[in-house]
Amino acid sequence: MPLNIDWQQILLHLFNFVILFAVLYFLLYKPVKQFMDERTEYYKNLDDEAKANLAESEKVKAEYTERLSQSEAEIAKSKEIARKELAMSIDAQKKQAENEAAKIIADARITAQREREKILKEAQGEIADMVTTATEKIVLGSGADAFDQFFAVAQRGESDE
Amino acid sequence: MDKKKRKIGIIVFACIAVCLMIGTIIVKSPGHHDSIGELMRDAVLHETNKVSLFGLMDVNPGLISAFTVTGIFLVLALIVRIFVIPRFKLIPGKLQLLLETAVGFFDNLAKSNSPHRNKFLGAYIFTAGAYIFVGTILELFGIQAITTQGTPISLPAPLADINGAVMMGCLSYLVILSGGIAENKLRGVGKTLKEFSLPISMSFRLFGALLSGALVTELVYHYIALSYGLPIIVGVLFTLLHALIQAYVLTMLTALFYGEVSEPAHKKK
Repeated sequence: MPLNIDWQQILLHLFNFVILFAVLYFLLYKPVKQFMDERTEYYKNLDDEAKANLAESEKVKAEYTERLSQSEAEIAKSKEIARKELAMSIDAQKKQAENEAAKIIADARITAQREREKILKEAQGEIADMVTTATEKIVLGSGADAFDQFFAVAQRGESDE
Repeated sequence: MDKKKRKIGIIVFACIAVCLMIGTIIVKSPGHHDSIGELMRDAVLHETNKVSLFGLMDVNPGLISAFTVTGIFLVLALIVRIFVIPRFKLIPGKLQLLLETAVGFFDNLAKSNSPHRNKFLGAYIFTAGAYIFVGTILELFGIQAITTQGTPISLPAPLADINGAVMMGCLSYLVILSGGIAENKLRGVGKTLKEFSLPISMSFRLFGALLSGALVTELVYHYIALSYGLPIIVGVLFTLLHALIQAYVLTMLTALFYGEVSEPAHKKK
């Protein structure tokens, strides 16, 4: 063979290399690669978990934000209702107060009218008594001028009214 | 005090260097009876310097180197498997980082060049890369073997032996072919056979690169005048460089062609 190529020695080299391949594959390459793959898988799982947690947090945050915005709207609505109710209540109380005031005034007027009538009645009674007393005095005291004194007292009484 | 110690150290070092230089000139090497031409011819053809394989047959020294490399790997891998890998941590230490980088590099090379089918390819190029790199580095240690003629010989890189290089090139081609068959059946065979020159080119690229390293080193050490200082560059740096380069080139080429032939055929619309 050219260059002294020896097929027997080539086969021996091949046999040696096959043994080397088996040794390196099973003792070194496979276990190291397996460890590296497991570590990659471990970190990938950690990364996936972190991403899932982040996504969950984002979801919860979005829910809370939505709830918060809903609550604000509800609060605003409640405020509006309360404001309307308050306004209505104020109106009702005002109206009631006006009614009560009107009633008090009317009652006062009626009472005053009654008082006046009563006073008038009493005054008339007193006047009548005074007139009677005066008449008696005049009649019994002086006979001629009694009629004139009566007229004078009567006129004074009318002017007082 | 420090300066004095440093001066003494430099003087002692210089004396040792001079003594060694004189010694190398006085003492003649018994192995250098051959001319440089004969040495180089033997490095290429392995006609004279054979080593006995357990007394069964005479083989090239490269085959002994190959068995030595496998033995070293077997021991180291066993130690690593028993004592190191069970203690791997999520945050790696230095040795774990080295192992993970080596495995990760070839795994990524396989995945990036052959995205569809790469499990076996990753394991194969890891083994081939480690074999070429460590086999080439072996040259540096100058492990001695005794030839059948009784002279000592420094073990060369396994792939500086033409038989080892042919095995590596052809096996890589067969691996590429297997990827083509596994993914594309007959079409894969066709795709692989188109690159019929691949086993020859891969074999002889390896053989040429590693042999040239060995020849240059042999040449440098043959002449005493070149043996001072120069081997640091030629012997160490060049060996390290071409160990890295050849390991990368063969694994990259294998992964590239494997990916090409194992790519699924696109259906015509």
